[in-house]
Amino acid sequence: MGMFTESIEVARAANGMPLRVSWQGQDYRLVAEPQRWFERRKWWDENLRIPRGAGAGIADYEMWRLQLVAVRGSSQVHSVDVSFDAQTERWRLVRVHDSLARSA
Amino acid sequence: MSFTHLNVSSSYSAHYGVSHPKQLAQAAKAQGAQMLALTDRDGLYGTVKHVAACMAEGLHPILGVNLAVLDSHGEAQGRIVLLARGRCNGAGYAALCRAITLAHGTSHGVPGLEAGQLAHLGAGGNLMVLLGGESDVARAILKGNYAHARALLANWKKRLGKMLRVEITTHLSSPGSRYSLGEAGRLLRYAHEREIKAVLSNAVRYVDPDGAVTADILDSARALHSLKNLDSCQPNGQGWLKTPQEMRQLAKEIGYATERSWAQQLLRETEALAEWAAADPVADLGWKKPVIPEAKVLGLDRPAMQELTSRVYGAVPGLLGDADPNLVEECLARELGVIDRLDFAGYFLTVAETVKLITGMGIRVAARGSGASSLVNYLLGISQVNPLTHDLVFERFLSDTRTTLPDIDIDVESARRHEIYREIFANFGEERVSLMSMQNAYRARGAVRDAGAALGVEQEQVDEIAKQLWRFSASSFREALTEKPELAALAERITDDTQLDILIDATERLDRLPRHISMHPCGVILSDASLLDRTPVQPSGIGLQMSQFDKHDMDLMGLIKLDVLGVRMQSAIAYTLEEIARMHTDKQSVARAGGHVDDSYISAAGAIDLSRVPLDDEPTFELIRSTHTLGCFQIESPGQRELIGKLAPREFNDLIIDISLFRPGPMQSNMVKPYLEHRHGFAPAQYLHPDLIPALAETHGVTVFHEQVLRILDVMTGCGLGMADVYRRLLGNPDKEPAVERYVRTEATKRGYSQETIDKVWEVLSGFGSFGFCKAHGAAFAVPTYHSAWLKAHHPEAFLAGIWEHDPGMYPKRLLVSEARRMGIPILPLDINRSTGHYRVERVFESAPAKLPVVPRAPSSLRPGRYGVRLAFRDIHQMSEREVERLVAGQPYEHLADVRARAGLSRRTYQNLAALGVFDSLLAGTSRADTIAHTQSMAPSSLPAKYRPGPGQLALDLGKIEHIKATGTELEPAEVVRTELDLMHLDASEHLISSYRQRLAHLPITQAAELLQLRNGTEVLVAGVRVATQTPPMRGGKRVVFISVDDGTGCIDATFFDDTQQRTGPLLFSTRMLLIHGVTRRTGPRGISLQALNAWDLHQPETLPAAGYLEEQGRPQISYRPKLGEGARSIESVGELAKRMEAEGLDQRGA
Repeated sequence: MGMFTESIEVARAANGMPLRVSWQGQDYRLVAEPQRWFERRKWWDENLRIPRGAGAGIADYEMWRLQLVAVRGSSQVHSVDVSFDAQTERWRLVRVHDSLARSA
Repeated sequence: MSFTHLNVSSSYSAHYGVSHPKQLAQAAKAQGAQMLALTDRDGLYGTVKHVAACMAEGLHPILGVNLAVLDSHGEAQGRIVLLARGRCNGAGYAALCRAITLAHGTSHGVPGLEAGQLAHLGAGGNLMVLLGGESDVARAILKGNYAHARALLANWKKRLGKMLRVEITTHLSSPGSRYSLGEAGRLLRYAHEREIKAVLSNAVRYVDPDGAVTADILDSARALHSLKNLDSCQPNGQGWLKTPQEMRQLAKEIGYATERSWAQQLLRETEALAEWAAADPVADLGWKKPVIPEAKVLGLDRPAMQELTSRVYGAVPGLLGDADPNLVEECLARELGVIDRLDFAGYFLTVAETVKLITGMGIRVAARGSGASSLVNYLLGISQVNPLTHDLVFERFLSDTRTTLPDIDIDVESARRHEIYREIFANFGEERVSLMSMQNAYRARGAVRDAGAALGVEQEQVDEIAKQLWRFSASSFREALTEKPELAALAERITDDTQLDILIDATERLDRLPRHISMHPCGVILSDASLLDRTPVQPSGIGLQMSQFDKHDMDLMGLIKLDVLGVRMQSAIAYTLEEIARMHTDKQSVARAGGHVDDSYISAAGAIDLSRVPLDDEPTFELIRSTHTLGCFQIESPGQRELIGKLAPREFNDLIIDISLFRPGPMQSNMVKPYLEHRHGFAPAQYLHPDLIPALAETHGVTVFHEQVLRILDVMTGCGLGMADVYRRLLGNPDKEPAVERYVRTEATKRGYSQETIDKVWEVLSGFGSFGFCKAHGAAFAVPTYHSAWLKAHHPEAFLAGIWEHDPGMYPKRLLVSEARRMGIPILPLDINRSTGHYRVERVFESAPAKLPVVPRAPSSLRPGRYGVRLAFRDIHQMSEREVERLVAGQPYEHLADVRARAGLSRRTYQNLAALGVFDSLLAGTSRADTIAHTQSMAPSSLPAKYRPGPGQLALDLGKIEHIKATGTELEPAEVVRTELDLMHLDASEHLISSYRQRLAHLPITQAAELLQLRNGTEVLVAGVRVATQTPPMRGGKRVVFISVDDGTGCIDATFFDDTQQRTGPLLFSTRMLLIHGVTRRTGPRGISLQALNAWDLHQPETLPAAGYLEEQGRPQISYRPKLGEGARSIESVGELAKRMEAEGLDQRGA
């Protein structure tokens, strides 16, 4: 398993569910139901300000585990964890799960 | 389909919930909900606000509580939620109240219920137990003890049967943490195994995602750990009031993790339980329906109205013998008619019963507030003010337009307040009485401390900020930093230190959140035997039970609240009267001592009945006009003394006007100046319209009283006084005032008033109407004002003893030492055999040559100097009450060894007493300095506490075994004063300023007593001890600081405007001994104050100005003289000022 944090683009459905991913110039589609969780963020170490009304995404960030297959080319399944920061509205690639990727 | 949240904590879950019930209800409504629960921790603290908010939003409220489950040792084993059954005529709500009361009755102080108690409560069928993410079952799952979790759940099922629900919550936290999807799924599986119905919740702590950070800070404050070291914080920030779509999505995800069909079932069961629990506020809670004690408790054997009528008429001959019978009959018919139609007779009898109880204990009682406008109250003995003599308006108190119970507030002697509470409990019965509670919210100071601790900011830094914060709300802190000169240094540091920025954000988040409840200082709830079905109670600080509801909840819950206020002045007056009777034991000697020509109000045993003292005593008004009113109720502050000097009261009504004028509103909206000009005949009174002359004549055309506003409204519109009071209450309310304006304009036009008159009248109504003061309240307050001045004029020694004993005023005790000197009253030093635990009047035999006192006293009363006040042991630093008791019980003492053997004093107290010269009268041939040296060298404690004699016990006389070495040393006077200040906070032997004289010898210092002889605009230097600091709000946001210093000859009041504040910087608030450079400003025939130009700290001699300072070229000069209330008018309107005063809690108008 590798640890990254790398920019990634994720398109969502109206209900917030990821639909398509674009990563390193490649487009991917989802091949399994994505899983979601929210991970704690240590805002007291990371933030300089916490004004009232700052909104979502200070105490946690949204995580998704996605099973991806490239739209063109190889049919290899990549299992990745991506995070969404509601404050910056940016997606990051957090992990690529090697073992899962190989077995798929 | 909507979703109902069944587990919601509001900010009334102290140190846990974030959002106010109103925010939650509004959000739920916006999401399309029909019902909403509130399940605060440990109580129903927010329930009434919740119900009111739900009703406003058209939601059905669901009521519940989150409680700890305790094991037999009182250890918490997780928490559960209890929901009350709804629409069952209150059975569910009553069961909830009783369960919470039970939970707070635990002997170990941790509120909670044991499983067995819960089983018992569940058996009634009115309470549903929700077992969710905080339960022992979920905890076991989290730890991986799955078998144990299943066993626990099986036990719960056995105990509660069908009154149990499993509550499924997921915050989608990372796998393995609390509220993870895995945990939720597993709990749901176990519920299905045991066939327990399951519901879905989100364990809400904040209305929207923004609150998550605040919840983290609250977690830290609760756990007393910084966020870094917090191990039990929420797993993430998902505990908000999620929308139905989001909740359905969560159900779906739980379904995926378990069985897909369970998702729908979960949602269905949630709504079914919500239906079961939805309450009807009227049928279940008795919403807005007042409940009074049963007739038998009030001792009634006939209908309440009949009893009331007969009692009231029965009292007429005694109290209103001289009044016009037609007028009395007309008033009573009107008042009793209203009371009858509103069905409030029982309420009046309840209050009368309570007052009877208190007077029966020999305690002074006075009604305050609008209650004094009622003749019925006067005749029932509730109020001491006759509304006919003062032309008060009953409708200001009660009318047909009012649906809520009127407030009747009762002032009693503060020292005996708890005794009164106990008597009320005993008399009405525990099941009918409870104290009221109050919510203590975070203020800036506490907020910054807790926020600082959470963020791990250095303690020292936090303390420094906290010290500066007492004058601001946290939310205005940022603004204050840029504006206030004394915060300049701090502001600079903040720009350098990024941690302070986040600290201020965190502080603002905590600001105003409820912290804990405590006993309300005066509210007592009286009801019938169903009281404990309608409010949960918990023990208060004094042991008596206290409702979880606060004053805003009372009317809504039909609870009758009586405000029994402890007023120190009442205690001081009672003590004064006792001292007079103790010193002068019969009618003649009291009359002689006080110079009373009329002695009809003095009993044969020398007791003065103040209520029968005429209100037109000339020496009393002479004293008041002299402005030497220190110690007198309501009129002792620097501002009041200035106003009194200008107003020069001649009769009782003047006192009412004076008290009513001295409010931030009238003072700043420039009502005072025109009033005074008309009063003294400098300018003719001007009336808005001849029709309004009857209403406004007593205040020369200026609108001062609420009563006058009512009359103006009535005259202009013909709406009647009752409706006029309804309109008056809407004045100043930005949403409702326009409707009143339209009404007034339309009706007044119909009645033929000119447009110009209407414009002028409306300007007065909208501007000053909201500021006016209830005359009845002013009249009620003026009574103790008059009485205290009367006592000061006629019996100054006893009065001074009373003031010292109960400390009722705004000034430190030491200021009254100077006042005693001005009154010509010797202060008798502490003495081992003559002092007691109390300040006592004492005959002085070696009387000093009589000097005419500065403070006038009644002619033909006792000459000054014949009586003094003996200082008491009670205020000595570190001397306990028990020590005082033992010491006094052992009196008299023959010698030091005797004191040591019998008084049972701690070594420290013994040393302190020696330092204060308490033993001086026992000394033979040695000095106080020798005794001090001796006690310092003494071995620690003579006897262990348990071997010391108890009070009154005698010990074996061991003879004079203390050997004190005589050295001939004497103490410096300055040293004596310093000791007195350190140990008693009093400078009794000489004034504190004396020891600074040397330091100031090079400067021409003017004394307070000399100021009055100076011309307006004279430049002076004064020096003294700070006795008071006030910062009233000013128009246009410019702050003015008033500082009063005392130099032994009197009080000097100095005004610091903005430019001077800039000059003086931090010493404005922190320095005790001040040198002030200022210019005199004459405020009236007897009043003079200073406009300060600069100030110095006497403790920093190197900073003091050099000789010849007043001739220096560069010294500050007066640049401008802002006139209060003028010039700045365009900047802040009266309405804005009113709002700011409301926000800053500065509006102290009465009920």
